[in-house]
Amino acid sequence: MQTRQTRFFSGALLRVSAAAAVLGATAYATPAAAQEIQITGPLAGAPAVRKERLHRDGRFELAPQFAFSLLDEYRQTHALGTTLHYNIKDYLSVGVFGFFALFNPTTDLTDQIDKVANRNSRTAPNVNHKGTGTGADPFTNGSFADQTTKISFFAGPQAQFAPFRGKIALFQKLFVDTDLYIHGGIAFVGLQERGDCGGGGSQKSCTDPDSFKLQGRTAITGTGGLGLSFYTNKGIGFRAEYRALPFSWNRPGFDSRGAGTDGKFPNLQATGTAVVDGKDQTFKWNQFVTIGVVVAFPWETKISE
Amino acid sequence: MKQATKGLLLGVISAAMAATLLMSTPAFAQKKKPGGGTGAAPAPPTPPAPAGAGGSDIEIDDPNTPKAPTDPAGGTTPPAGGTDPAAGGTGGAGATGGAGGICEIDPSACPKGGDIKAAAGKDVAAEVYAVQQIYALRYHRFELMPYWALTLNDQFVNHPGPGLGANFYITNVLAVGISGTFYQGLNADSDFNFQNRRATRVAVPLNEYQYNANLNVSYVPIYGKFAGFSDFIFHYDLYTVAGLGILSTRPIPVIDPDNRNFAFEAKLAFNAGLGLRIFFNRWFAADLEIRDYIYNEKLESLTLAPTQAQQQDKGTWFGESKITNNVQAQLGVSVFLPFSWEYRLPK
Repeated sequence: MQTRQTRFFSGALLRVSAAAAVLGATAYATPAAAQEIQITGPLAGAPAVRKERLHRDGRFELAPQFAFSLLDEYRQTHALGTTLHYNIKDYLSVGVFGFFALFNPTTDLTDQIDKVANRNSRTAPNVNHKGTGTGADPFTNGSFADQTTKISFFAGPQAQFAPFRGKIALFQKLFVDTDLYIHGGIAFVGLQERGDCGGGGSQKSCTDPDSFKLQGRTAITGTGGLGLSFYTNKGIGFRAEYRALPFSWNRPGFDSRGAGTDGKFPNLQATGTAVVDGKDQTFKWNQFVTIGVVVAFPWETKISE
Repeated sequence: MKQATKGLLLGVISAAMAATLLMSTPAFAQKKKPGGGTGAAPAPPTPPAPAGAGGSDIEIDDPNTPKAPTDPAGGTTPPAGGTDPAAGGTGGAGATGGAGGICEIDPSACPKGGDIKAAAGKDVAAEVYAVQQIYALRYHRFELMPYWALTLNDQFVNHPGPGLGANFYITNVLAVGISGTFYQGLNADSDFNFQNRRATRVAVPLNEYQYNANLNVSYVPIYGKFAGFSDFIFHYDLYTVAGLGILSTRPIPVIDPDNRNFAFEAKLAFNAGLGLRIFFNRWFAADLEIRDYIYNEKLESLTLAPTQAQQQDKGTWFGESKITNNVQAQLGVSVFLPFSWEYRLPK
């Protein structure tokens, strides 16, 4: 049945493709035509843009935004924040950004692990549980979600470079001044991450239920991305932005690295004792999309010559 | 099978109806607002350029540009005194006002009487377009779009791959076309899947792709231009695309890799997307497209049959089916054919 279905769709696709090719070849012979005047001559040296509204030049911009993360494995980040910039030129600005997590919803994977993962001696160092695993105090379900790392804030200085400026026309009715910008800077990322365990000294054993508690850490990394500004009037607009925050972190709180060849094997497998520490942090290209408004002041814009 | 056939027919009929509706939509001219019409503060009237002031800026459509008397002979002979930029005269008397001042700007571009007669003899489209001077015309041109696809919404398995699209523009804004992406051998199972399985003893069913092939309809509702550094201008358009086709996928065996060996199987897939095309010249552009391929995925069964014979029975390998969205970014270029074209009218 599946083979027949596949054949049917493949055959249909081929027939329609052939028809499209014939149609296309027939139409190809028709010369393209349009209504346009091609201006040549001394205008080649004329300014490309005249009397442009300079929405940025010499103005401050406050842009409250909502940010949400993409492609999260165990826990998402929904944050509220703002950027504050001063535009030195119409195409260059410097400023700061700061976002604080409103909530960190878990992914479906985290919920499924919570539901179906067995709590026993083999999973005890990696999956949150209650009990000590002895006959009198067996392992019982703890919350796996509670051990997954949360991003609590990200903030830092940054610069914006807006080389491209134009208008967007929607159905030839609504025209919006638009610019495309790239941004880059340094980010301080606040994390709530599972603390070190199993390393000896005062550290708890990784099978101890208390070892799954989260501790604060700040990661420092570069950040960058690009965005679009839509200026609906002189002082207020909308902004949509992509932001990358690449850095290493232990998102599930597992003992997954630190021993064996190149430290790529879990300590539990190599030595029989689980260790969770900085070596378990793995690199991730963390991504955010932000949307919000931008308010510029002073209110009046400059006009280019 | 019947349901699938009906779905295909309905899809084709819907696409044809949508295309007919779009094609029958008349073009409307935008009313010119006083002072620019785009929300800008009305600019003060430009004072007329003084006669003989060489090197002054020229506004083609500026109503304040001094009008010169029309040459009764058809404007073929530029009068002396004011048409030679080298002589310093740009606004002198005697320019051919009927040609909109082009004879003043560039005598070599000044239309001859024969040109005007030939242009007048051509068929004139009755519609007046709001945008007259389209930089990159699409009407009756082919577009070839090689691209590289990247997965946007699957953190478990990345599905990158090369692809190719081909479109034919029936109108300047409506195209039909085909596209396809090849994934086999390039699917990347993320490290975290294995780390998660090892740590939690919980496996996530994974799937990989072989190829997709699609029939598409594209519509270009938005086009315009951007200025770079206020110095150069490039043109762009935003387009929507939708279609249907097939996506060949199979599960990656993670629950029972010893017994299960899945074959690729094509599934009906609908797609819809949004794209941005930036023109570098009249036939070459860069593309960024986000497209969602929606299909019914068959996942590996999470349970094992009790006996080995049953475990080797393919009927026990599949578990639940799920409507799945494969959202991918497609980065590529567009090449329009033919490279050049003949405009029907001077304006």
